[in-house]
Amino acid sequence: MYVARRTLARADAGLNRLYGWRYNPLYHSGAIVLALFVVLLITGIYLLFFYHISAPYQSILDIDRQVWLGRWVRGVHRYASDAAVVAAGFHALRMFVQRRTWGPRTLAWVSGLVLLAFVFLCGWTGFVMMWDVQGQVLAQAGARLFDLLPIFGEPISRAFTGERPIPGAFFFLNLFAHVALPIGLFIIVWVHVSRLARPGLFPPRRLTWTVVGALTALAVLWPVATTPPADLFALPGRAPFDWFYAFWVPLAMAVSPVALWGVGLALAVAGLAVPWLTRPRVARRPPPSKVDERLCTGCEQCYLDCPYEAIAMIERPDALRTGKSALVAHVDPALCVSCGLCAGSCAPMGVGPAGRTGRAQLGVVRDFVAAHRPGGRDVVLVACEHGAGSITAAAEYDGSLVYPVSCGGNLHTSVVEYLLRAGAGGVLIVSCPPRDCRHREGPKWLEARLFHEREAELRDRVDRRRVRLVYAAAGERDVVRAALATFRSDVATLDAAAAEPDVDLERLCELTEAGATEAGAEESK
Amino acid sequence: MTNVARGGLGALGVAGVLALIRVLSFAPYTTERDAGAIVRLAWRARGERVRDCRHVTPEELAKLPVHMRQEEVCEGRVLPYRLVVDLDDNAAVSRLIHGAGAREDRPLYVFQDLTVRPGVHRISVRFALEGRPQAPEETGLATPPRLALDTTLSLVPRQVLLVTYDEEREQLVVRDGSTR
Repeated sequence: MYVARRTLARADAGLNRLYGWRYNPLYHSGAIVLALFVVLLITGIYLLFFYHISAPYQSILDIDRQVWLGRWVRGVHRYASDAAVVAAGFHALRMFVQRRTWGPRTLAWVSGLVLLAFVFLCGWTGFVMMWDVQGQVLAQAGARLFDLLPIFGEPISRAFTGERPIPGAFFFLNLFAHVALPIGLFIIVWVHVSRLARPGLFPPRRLTWTVVGALTALAVLWPVATTPPADLFALPGRAPFDWFYAFWVPLAMAVSPVALWGVGLALAVAGLAVPWLTRPRVARRPPPSKVDERLCTGCEQCYLDCPYEAIAMIERPDALRTGKSALVAHVDPALCVSCGLCAGSCAPMGVGPAGRTGRAQLGVVRDFVAAHRPGGRDVVLVACEHGAGSITAAAEYDGSLVYPVSCGGNLHTSVVEYLLRAGAGGVLIVSCPPRDCRHREGPKWLEARLFHEREAELRDRVDRRRVRLVYAAAGERDVVRAALATFRSDVATLDAAAAEPDVDLERLCELTEAGATEAGAEESK
Repeated sequence: MTNVARGGLGALGVAGVLALIRVLSFAPYTTERDAGAIVRLAWRARGERVRDCRHVTPEELAKLPVHMRQEEVCEGRVLPYRLVVDLDDNAAVSRLIHGAGAREDRPLYVFQDLTVRPGVHRISVRFALEGRPQAPEETGLATPPRLALDTTLSLVPRQVLLVTYDEEREQLVVRDGSTR
């Protein structure tokens, strides 16, 4: 797993360098799959007009003869289906390596596997539709597999023995399946993202058009090859195969259908067991967020910011008696992935996982300051443990103190203020790139809280010139180094900020709580 | 790295991925290791259907709902046939073919591929009822109790020759695709 994580970090870093983190295709692999589904749908509808179940292979030849449109539409359809498998594979691998597979994410993992199975099934019917050599081999191998299921009155393999012409009903059913499966596919996509707030369904427009343009260019410059027709009275011999969908054919040729079912079922069981195999032991599992109802002002910010819709606003039972807000946040532990983004969103520091609430963070930063005494107007690096060039493994990086956080989005802005007041010349916050965040929206909310006055914002009294946010993935230590050097030189040019010794942050928090109580009392009146 | 170099490398990366997709999308593969040929035995036969009937006891009848009470219940099944194939006077296949379905009441389906070297081969196929039916049902429609084929086949590399049952002629025949 360590090697896989390192490899992924390097690949991310390399692609960030080439395309920038906004357009890194690895960050958008899941969204690219969906964009490709749309491409497949559009091109598929066009191809459907020219497909005849009575003469499947001939209709493919006819489409290929449409030099200006049909040929490259078929090419885009074919290459998009291949690219969808590649993107889906990368997406699954990424989730697996980053251990985003267990707990509340189990549904997404399992539905993702079902989606992948649907993609393969849909591809299988698509290749059979063409009724070329590959289609014949896939049909015969598939029929042998399905004949083991006791659900067919007559073995399907009989259709491909040559005893009689292949019934038109077969191609009709196959076409029906090829058209119906994508409908199921889109339903499963809905299930796949159902536990996400604001799911990023599509990649950035520029990346989408690049993918579509690249596939179109490939289809035009290197069109799909015309393959030999199916012939039930000849062995296929040497023929071109699509290995994204026909990868199992050599195994099907080598082992019995029973063994192939065994291999398939074993793989399915292994895939479905991943959520249970990858979840940490109970003692090491991060706890879900909890709401301290005494502090909750019912502002709804945590409810708005939660990327997993794990927080709901419910009626406060004792609102009238206590004079507090009518609504109070409530965390559903079954949906909470313990990202801690709610802790960063809560000005009165009343919500978050144990040990990572705003209050707990103030305690940690106080200990950090006491232990390391950042001074000399130096820069403190606040770094995400999952990214930030993996610098959180050490206490210092390039001479600067490193203050690790579980996620940039978990960071409460008061911590930044505390560090500056404690004498740090500047705070450089190094977060994962937005689309690389383990918790989806950490960097987005962090940036909004630091610089765009989103609730739980960094107070106006903090000199923004001494706070900087950079994005660096786990493998981008050079990005951190360069940003640190630039920030240091910028900070060095600033005059020393006027100290405000009378501001006591912890006391401020207490005041906020008292203020909240008063506000709640007024609201109830 | 300059923007131009980065752009060039980026384009190269995209081209590399596309080339990989194209190559893997049409990578040649040989499904058979040697250029052999196949003699395929495939047919459907109704077989000899028999019924086993018994009278239901009054106690059993009483347990059934009124509309399901029948004094006699019958279960039909198809008797098995034995398929024996000799290829160039060597035994190639000898197996019992049972009626399809969990109750063996569906027709008999034969599907067997014999890989042979290209060339001329002598083949002998026997498809015969195993045992005799006690009380055959609809014998007029059934497959004859014994089918046989003795012939010489000439196969070219990668050819598939089909041995099948012609229901109209009630005999085993050889087809090569041109005689469908």
